[in-house]
Amino acid sequence: MIRQGLLICLTFIPFISLFFVVPSFEIENNMAIVHTIGLIVILSGINVWLSMMCAWWLLWTDSRWKHVIEWLVFLPLFIPMLATLFGLYLILAEAGLIGTYVGVTLALLVVTIPYSIRLAYNGMAVIGRPLLEQARILPSRRRVMYVLYPLFSRLMRTIALFTTVILLSQFALIQLIGAGLIPTVTTELYQSYAGNNRGLALSNTWMLILFPVLLYFLLSGWDRYMVRMLKGRLQ
Amino acid sequence: MSLNVQNLYKQFGTKQILNGVDFEVKPHDIHAIVGVSGSGKSTILRIIAGLESTDSGDVKWNHRSLIPIPAHKRRVTMLSQTALLFPHLTVGENVTLVTRERSRKQAEHWLRVVQLGDRYDAEIHELSGGEQQRVSLARALAAEPELLLLDEPFTNLDPKLKLDLQRFIRDLVKELNLTAVLVTHDREEAMLMADQVTLIDEGKVTRTGTVAELYDTAPGFGDFVMLDGELRPLSEVEVSEATGVSVQLMKKIYRFGQCFGEYQFKDGRSVMLPTCETYQTGMIYRIKRKEE
Repeated sequence: MIRQGLLICLTFIPFISLFFVVPSFEIENNMAIVHTIGLIVILSGINVWLSMMCAWWLLWTDSRWKHVIEWLVFLPLFIPMLATLFGLYLILAEAGLIGTYVGVTLALLVVTIPYSIRLAYNGMAVIGRPLLEQARILPSRRRVMYVLYPLFSRLMRTIALFTTVILLSQFALIQLIGAGLIPTVTTELYQSYAGNNRGLALSNTWMLILFPVLLYFLLSGWDRYMVRMLKGRLQ
Repeated sequence: MSLNVQNLYKQFGTKQILNGVDFEVKPHDIHAIVGVSGSGKSTILRIIAGLESTDSGDVKWNHRSLIPIPAHKRRVTMLSQTALLFPHLTVGENVTLVTRERSRKQAEHWLRVVQLGDRYDAEIHELSGGEQQRVSLARALAAEPELLLLDEPFTNLDPKLKLDLQRFIRDLVKELNLTAVLVTHDREEAMLMADQVTLIDEGKVTRTGTVAELYDTAPGFGDFVMLDGELRPLSEVEVSEATGVSVQLMKKIYRFGQCFGEYQFKDGRSVMLPTCETYQTGMIYRIKRKEE
């Protein structure tokens, strides 16, 4: 009982105080919202696609390089993000991508992809190779539409949400690689904190919460619709 | 249409799993591959199904190599130890999915064949293990395969259900004129189901022949006979009215011209011996070790 109570407290304490202040409902920078939505869509899409492909390959390959590649892909999980940041900065600076949208997208991709691959790989391992092998005996269109998509839809949703949450947590990376020229909801939030305007900070905080929550409901609804529609075709 | 497995080699890491495996499956036969765990028998099946690559060698179906053909184009289906039904689909949807036209009618037909015609809309978790295995069989047959692969499909079933399903599948394969390859470590199962048997040990074929041929010649085949409290090779025992352990001949099973007797010990355990012609059902006989 104590454990459950502690867990509930730890989960809800950060949110209780949000109701103490009235948000100002001001949106100072529309471009920040546009950039954030753009980054969420692009990064989630690339992460889901790339991580699922990579995890699928890792699941089936007999290559002797499998362990080396696994180690390389998961390496960023063991190195603090800030340590990789400066290396990224130097490379992107060489390529002339500092202060650009492409540079920020690439940097965020480097940071998020190892987590996505790990999630995808573990998710596939839980479903299990034998069941997925049954799918391999099906023609490719049926395999993807009726088996793999329904089996992996929750996994893909988790990867998209996880990517979104990491993206929304990155202030230092976006500021450094974006050189302050690519505003997002996160960078705006930090500025509003510094400005001591609690109403504005709260508006931005709610915005920050709203993005993953909306995405969750959007993707869940889409999944449910798609799975029901596909199952209907088998009736 | 015959299946030719030719000189298969397969290595996993540093372990050589298959060491030049050769055998032929005749058209419309049930061919059992018998070996202990780790002998490479399941790997052979996975290579035939297209789920595993080979290091060298070939698998020919009707004189055409299957190796370059992807798994879903081979017209081969596999039944495994666990039913491996897709959990997000109902019983019927699992079967409909593999039919050529995604047809509910066909799926219902195959479910009726496996005596589950009324369970089309049931969820997978509502079925017992035996029923799930039947659905898996319906799914395998609904794909209209030319070759059916059975990878120890009876391992997780209780003895009664196991025997029922073994007979059911054997009769069905014969009725549908399919060719089937059964992988098992259970010699009794091979004896009950197969026309031909290939014995495999450490990735090599040690013997191929009919059940009756192997009983006479293959060392170790049929060593499930319990005598003096331990398993004895069949070649070391005989049935007689002299001294030994009392057994009762319960029934005679005629399989492909060979008569097998099902004998029962006093404690209820039963064995099968490749003989029964001179003995009568219901009589008590004794089995003993052969005189040297």
